[in-house]
Amino acid sequence: MPISSSMDRRTILSAGMILGAGALVGGLSGCGVSNGVAEIPLAAARGAAAPGRRMRIARPAASAAETLDPASSLSAYEYLGAIYNRLVKLDEQGTTIPDLASEWSSTPDGKTWTFKLRRGVLFHDGRALTASDVIYTLGHILDPKTGSPQAGVLAPILEPSGVTASDSHTVVFTLTSPNAEFPSLLTAYQCYIIPAGSAAAIGRTGIGTGPFKLSSYTPAGRGSVEAFAGHFAGPPALDGIDFYSVQDTSARVNALLAGQIDLISQTNLDFATARVVASSPVATVARAKDAQWYTIPMLATSKEFSDPRVRQAMKLAYNPEDIVATALQGNGSPGWDNPVPPGYADALDHTRPYDPEKAKALLKKAGVEGLQMPIYTSSYDSVFTPLAVAYAEAVKQAGIQLTVTSASSDSYYTEIWMKKPLSVSYWFTGRPVDQLLNQVFRSGSSYNESAWSNKAFDRLLVDARREMNDERRRGIYQDAQRLIIEDGADMTPMFGDRLVGLSRKVVNYSEFGFEFDYLKIGLS
Amino acid sequence: MPLLILRRLGSAVLTIVLASLLVFLAIQALPGDVVQQILGRDATPEAVAQMRSELGLDTPVFLRYIQWLFGALQGDFGTSLVSGEPVGPNLLLHFRNTLLIAIPTVIISVTLSIVLGVIAGLRRGKLADHSISLISLLAMSIPEFMVAALLVLAFAVGIPLFPAVVLDGPQASLAQLLPSIWLPVIVLSLAMAAYIIRMTRTSTIDVMTSEFITTAELKGLRRARVVMRHALPTALLPTLNVVAINIAWMLGGVVVVENIFNYPGMGNLMLEAVFNRDLPVIEAVAVVSAAIYVACNLLADLAAMALDPRQRLRQRTRRGTGVGAGTTASPAISTDERSQP
Repeated sequence: MPISSSMDRRTILSAGMILGAGALVGGLSGCGVSNGVAEIPLAAARGAAAPGRRMRIARPAASAAETLDPASSLSAYEYLGAIYNRLVKLDEQGTTIPDLASEWSSTPDGKTWTFKLRRGVLFHDGRALTASDVIYTLGHILDPKTGSPQAGVLAPILEPSGVTASDSHTVVFTLTSPNAEFPSLLTAYQCYIIPAGSAAAIGRTGIGTGPFKLSSYTPAGRGSVEAFAGHFAGPPALDGIDFYSVQDTSARVNALLAGQIDLISQTNLDFATARVVASSPVATVARAKDAQWYTIPMLATSKEFSDPRVRQAMKLAYNPEDIVATALQGNGSPGWDNPVPPGYADALDHTRPYDPEKAKALLKKAGVEGLQMPIYTSSYDSVFTPLAVAYAEAVKQAGIQLTVTSASSDSYYTEIWMKKPLSVSYWFTGRPVDQLLNQVFRSGSSYNESAWSNKAFDRLLVDARREMNDERRRGIYQDAQRLIIEDGADMTPMFGDRLVGLSRKVVNYSEFGFEFDYLKIGLS
Repeated sequence: MPLLILRRLGSAVLTIVLASLLVFLAIQALPGDVVQQILGRDATPEAVAQMRSELGLDTPVFLRYIQWLFGALQGDFGTSLVSGEPVGPNLLLHFRNTLLIAIPTVIISVTLSIVLGVIAGLRRGKLADHSISLISLLAMSIPEFMVAALLVLAFAVGIPLFPAVVLDGPQASLAQLLPSIWLPVIVLSLAMAAYIIRMTRTSTIDVMTSEFITTAELKGLRRARVVMRHALPTALLPTLNVVAINIAWMLGGVVVVENIFNYPGMGNLMLEAVFNRDLPVIEAVAVVSAAIYVACNLLADLAAMALDPRQRLRQRTRRGTGVGAGTTASPAISTDERSQP
């Protein structure tokens, strides 16, 4: 799943319902609020975790079809990082760093990659991790019957027979084509390592090598994990975690305010609620910086946006800094239409002038002066509508008339997304650059939300994978970003901080990409 | 009489089957099928095709509905498309949990509203009447989610007497659920009592001005005896129908309330099933709801007949009684006057 399933699933009922008790607290009491507005804290509390504590997490379960099989598109995301490990993971600069693999290297042609496994790693059932588990896991991901979203990324360059062991703790990947960025593709959260032979049962047993061991699990229901003493990176700070499914967003917030839970996962609080939570005596808000990557896909196959001049005008006609100030109330970073997050080492440092006059001229050249069309939004994410409104407001200067049209959130991603010419969308950040560009921008990729197809761009992606020199490869990725900025059909107005509701007792919360830091998170 | 009951039962079954058909058509009208809904943004053409064949969704949907219907008539509600679990036992579990809210709600609201309604009717135009009428009008006008939010704010967040949401799943024991039922019960009782109070008040006023009560009073009977023995039985007749309609209506209110409190009942099961387009589950919930609705109306009519000999005569002279035909002598609140919030 390329995004979270954090939906206001239940906005079907009535918009008013999202006005949870939380929002009312703000209106009625305003306790501990300076001039009626509580500041949203900048970071989660750091400090020493008390020993022997259990954390309670409320999560929006995707559906009763969810599973603990990490390779599946229906995996129960919060459990994965607690109970499994990957070979490698991503740090906040987008760099690949060790997890179960301690080191890796490749042949000069980038076709054969050798990974050395950490020694002494145990699965929860007491078995030692060996190369055969890694071979088995990759075979399971690549098996068409698994239907893993990551198979689409790995299958073009890797066949199951290409994964072999040279000894019990060395895995060799022989790729079908050179790929300098291959290790980064194993950081995806579908690539958690499962024990050999476990595919049929893993969805319920959840046996991995992670800091916590599964003790109970009901799909779309309750579940618990306990600290695993045998974890290679030392025991976690918590004794255990209890996961509860709460489908309604305001119900999750109410549970937090009433002290029934300690953290709300996969939920980006709207600003009104975030202020209320921040001013509560028992709860507060933490940020996952730039965790939400907001986009405005312009369908390149539509008659309006098949013309690159119109796409260029749509970008010149707004100022991302203004959009961050209004739609995110400052809680994020401007995107400047570059999808690579600003903190990444490979990110292109780029801004452009805001030029509504030039946008107007471009539209005139393209013969669509005074462009009028709907921009679709929904309550799927709390920032969707503010973003659509702010963008529509901004482009009026260039004579573009957009009607903000709200669609049902429960069918937004089946009926609107990739079907209507102009809509808003979002993804979680935390993908490696190569995967991000290939998955969302490459011609014909099933996640290419703007249906943009650019031969030169596709060639750059292939070139980058062949380029073994890190510096030169970075240059190619930056050229690719330039192409997206100039010609692309998927605008990136901004990256938003995810506002996470948690108890004031929670310390060392940090979340990046698709994983919590489950080792350090604790309760004071 | 037996013929009448048979006729009513026949039309009841027909009503339930029609309800299931309408629900089926409504679900077909919704965008997206179960596979697209579950996969969400991962609904790539390959993934969708594979999951459809896994779930056996290759047969035409109307055929699957007919198969389901025949199964249901034999008491087999099929299996959920999402969880793969049999629908029947799961529905029973959620139904049990909803009853845990519904029964106290009915007991509390009926008792409370008959007492208050009669008081208001007897003290017509006095302070008691005005305040009862005002409160019931307020309770009617404020939507449930608002009442629920305020109650959570006051009694879960402000003063932590009750849990704000239920964290246990549908398998929770009654003891685990017991602390959590009170806020939902209060929310539903308020809305339900408001309507019954107004009905009871009106019919009490009607009866108290009728000739036989005047006669009883002129005979010198004590007021309490007049009210209890003569007025009440007659006054409560029209109220029966309102109670029945309200119980049926409560099924709708339960959806809103269960969602707010994350309560693992039938309303939440239905929401989840509709969201996922899980046809067997939606149909099972629809059939059970329709059955309850029909049963409530039937019981109300039968009870009215048992209490009022005149009704039996009226029934005989009327042609073709439909389900929920009005049976009360005084103006009852009809179903369509109760707009769902």
